[in-house]
Amino acid sequence: MALLARTFEKRELRDPGFVRAIFANTWLAPIWLFLRLYLGYQWLMAGAHKVWGGGRWIAVPGPDGLGLKAFWDRAVAIPEQGRPPISFDWYRNFLTFMLDHSWYRWFAWVIALGEVAVGIALIVGAFVGIAALFGAFMNFNFLMAGSASINPAMFVIAMLVIFGWKTAGWIGLDRWLLPALGTPWQSGSVVRDLAKKEAREPSAPGIRDTGRQRGPHPSPTG
Amino acid sequence: MNRILLLLVGIAAWAGVALTAVLITFNIGDKNQILMFLPILGAVVVAWGIGEVVTERVFNRDEGDA
Repeated sequence: MALLARTFEKRELRDPGFVRAIFANTWLAPIWLFLRLYLGYQWLMAGAHKVWGGGRWIAVPGPDGLGLKAFWDRAVAIPEQGRPPISFDWYRNFLTFMLDHSWYRWFAWVIALGEVAVGIALIVGAFVGIAALFGAFMNFNFLMAGSASINPAMFVIAMLVIFGWKTAGWIGLDRWLLPALGTPWQSGSVVRDLAKKEAREPSAPGIRDTGRQRGPHPSPTG
Repeated sequence: MNRILLLLVGIAAWAGVALTAVLITFNIGDKNQILMFLPILGAVVVAWGIGEVVTERVFNRDEGDA
């Protein structure tokens, strides 16, 4: 019991200086900008092929998502010889379920518009960590469905961007969005202003600004 | 009023980045990825510069309010 208590006692393990320099210091923001732009450009390009041009997945004459259906059909097929594209049975069953229920018709919209949205968010640097997380999730699913392509490289870059979320959008909209909106664990200036207004009104007592809450970024001015 | 105008300038700058990226990728495609990348990078640098010089004043009220 004492061993368990000692092992799991509250203790903060701090990151070494070089880790903080890489992931939390704004001097490397230009490097993060390049990684972010490359990732965003790739997602935008992938989404562009799905929403635009002859081979698009959505807004086509007839049912939408036939391109996605063809991709899923190839993914769930089990060849007589060799290995199937999908290694996990539960994932194959999941795709088969979606195929059987013709979910590709609306799922194609989710993927196509999701790729474009992730690409734009990464390029303009808005909510970079969340955008990279969604991007990594799409990479994960393409990999699970047996499509390697550049997905492994994009997945690794996305994970790095997720770890560097505080500075990856520094040369971007996050520079202003994060201090204004804050995070779920630290309110930003806009949220604090709203809380102040609420506190002044008699209908919402109990909300008061302690003056100690600050967003993950310091004010852009300083 | 002045502050709102500056905020709109900042928003327009970043909307311009998004528009540039979409127009380039959707219209030109991936024929030359380096050439596609450069205008997007240029747009980001311009928007960032506008944000640093112009819209900085929009958010410069934290100190005044404190």
